[in-house]
Amino acid sequence: MSAFFDVAHYDGQKAVKRKVEVQVVGSQFYVLENEQRTGPFAFADVAYVTKQGDADVYGLAGHDGWRLMLSGPVPSELAALLPAPRRYGGWVDRLGLGKAVIAFALTSAAAIAVVLFSPQWLAPLIPDSVDDQLGDVLVGDFGGRFCHTPAGDAALQKLVASLDDNPQDLRVEVANIDMLNAVALPGGNVILFDGLLKQARSPDEVAGVLAHEIGHVREKHVMQALLRQMGLAVVLGGVDGNSGAMVNNLLAMSYSRDAEAEADAHSMRMLGNANISPVGTASFFDRLSQLDGSEGAVKYNVEITSYLSSHPLSASRKDAFEKSIVKGKNYKPALTPSEWTELKTMCTQDRKVKSGFGFDFD
Amino acid sequence: MSDEQLPTHSAFRFHGSWQEFARIAFPNLLLTIVTLGIYRFWATTREREYLWGKTDFIDEPLEWTGRGIELFIGFIMVFLLIGVPFIVIQLVSQGLIFQGLPVLAGLLTFAMFLSLFYLTGVAYFRALRYRLSRTYWRGIRGGSDDPGFQYGLSYMWKWVVAWLPLFLMVPWAMISLWNDRWNAMSFGPHRFSATAQWTPLMKRYLLFYLVPFLFFGGAVIFGISMAASGNAPDALGDTGMAVGGILAVVALLAFYIIIPLAALLFYSKYFRLAVGGLRLHTLEFAFRARAADWVLFFLANIAIIICTLGIGYIFMPYRNWKFFVEHMEAYGEINIDELTQSQTVVEKHGEGLLDAFDVGAI
Repeated sequence: MSAFFDVAHYDGQKAVKRKVEVQVVGSQFYVLENEQRTGPFAFADVAYVTKQGDADVYGLAGHDGWRLMLSGPVPSELAALLPAPRRYGGWVDRLGLGKAVIAFALTSAAAIAVVLFSPQWLAPLIPDSVDDQLGDVLVGDFGGRFCHTPAGDAALQKLVASLDDNPQDLRVEVANIDMLNAVALPGGNVILFDGLLKQARSPDEVAGVLAHEIGHVREKHVMQALLRQMGLAVVLGGVDGNSGAMVNNLLAMSYSRDAEAEADAHSMRMLGNANISPVGTASFFDRLSQLDGSEGAVKYNVEITSYLSSHPLSASRKDAFEKSIVKGKNYKPALTPSEWTELKTMCTQDRKVKSGFGFDFD
Repeated sequence: MSDEQLPTHSAFRFHGSWQEFARIAFPNLLLTIVTLGIYRFWATTREREYLWGKTDFIDEPLEWTGRGIELFIGFIMVFLLIGVPFIVIQLVSQGLIFQGLPVLAGLLTFAMFLSLFYLTGVAYFRALRYRLSRTYWRGIRGGSDDPGFQYGLSYMWKWVVAWLPLFLMVPWAMISLWNDRWNAMSFGPHRFSATAQWTPLMKRYLLFYLVPFLFFGGAVIFGISMAASGNAPDALGDTGMAVGGILAVVALLAFYIIIPLAALLFYSKYFRLAVGGLRLHTLEFAFRARAADWVLFFLANIAIIICTLGIGYIFMPYRNWKFFVEHMEAYGEINIDELTQSQTVVEKHGEGLLDAFDVGAI
């Protein structure tokens, strides 16, 4: 048995619009025009193209530009054989707009949650060798800008050993760059800038900052931040440039604040273990807060670790360190006066070291 | 019988309404937000389906057959083939700077910049090719067999030539690249021919080019005459303040009104010349919008966006398309029997490159 329907048609070969009859035979059909019959074509190959005025337009797989245009109400026998109209796209049409919106929103929230929370679990799983290699690529010999003198190295080593139980997998260096700064980088690299040593009034201040950066290393903050940034870049990759970057920065920032607080806590703990007074670190932050007016974050970071920036306000950090002072405890200085002098003047004494000139991060 | 004489009104007619468009744009916005931007490829496709379908050329509507998934695949390809390598290159060059090899890092960054420059050109070409290959009229489409790699090179050297003589050759580069692009395109069996001239554009360009100098010159002359007459502004008291205020207002006017106005004056002429030089077999094209039309168009856009607190932004694709179609003209005649299917290749991915570089053009 077969049924006939009048439709408009383009054959995709010429631009001529034709009035044709569609003859349906089972799951196939023929196109009839003036006694000429083409086909058979399978309904399975028919695809919905678009709505054109009151007409539904259908195409045929493998036939470029081939169109059937059905105006008005489509007879139900034919409608049953034709594919359903497409509005929003496959998934949304199947679910309906409301349900699809809810489903998408939940999926997106889950994806963001995974990206934000998983680095905490994932970072420890990254093999140390990968971390080390990344550190080597990033740091290397820092363009020959690391300062070394036998006495200065010994003083630095003593300081590190007093603040960490496993100093052998840390690489702490002093860079000949006149900036009030210190950074933690992948591979257990911690770099103190010479400007910080020059500004510091006691070895205890340097110890507090150093213990803070070691805290970033021990808590795997660097790798976590890298993973989180990469994940956010992927998840928010679909969002238009600026708004995506803004959301990304906001999320990353809130996390780096937590990381700073953790590193501070680590620093206070280690100072306590080493019997070094936190007073120095507190007064260091006090001076910093006068420098920046405590209006914004401490200028205590460089571009490459901007993901670790946004330190808590210097003033509140000062308070935290002051509170960690144990009254009546017999603190001893982090370094002897001669060791401190050697460390402080290491970059001035080292004649081979390259200067930080032309190495401007800001 | 099938020679279509073009009617006296424009051959292009748009009969969409913003209310209908809103029923597409608002769900699009919602879906785009809950999918973290991923839906925008399908959103763009739905909007184009509507806009194309509401545009008649002579007697029949245009049809957009591009799919969201194509744009999505294009985006993913760009992300994997360009985005990821560039992130790696940035990391490596960062590391090279740290290791004291700034020259190598500079070279690497320069190579990255060059390839981005090249790919921008390729992107413009391929976006036009994609849009033509997805635009059907009476079952016939356009396209190009040229992949656009050669065009990318032309794009580079022509812009360099345009910039070298103090940016004076910019009109030449714009027109010449427009011609290059369109000369590679075809619709049905016919190749486009683009023969726009750049010299008529120079007067408007020089006007735009000289506006800042004229203002600067004016300010200098004003200053000299003030000094010569011995009337220092502060000696004049209130009058001096008033003069200063007027000067400030004039400077603001220059930056926010006169320079954009001069730019629009130039661009409207450019677009009229470029479209006016376009032919398709026996068809000639024209774009009727003059500078005043462009100004009104942009002022209305700004007003809409401000009055709707930004939500009106989602109507910009509608406004742009309407403006474009309503000012397009075509002259000549088309032989429908002669208009046969395009034999150009059809790529399976959309304009990801252009999307990635964030440039939107018709």
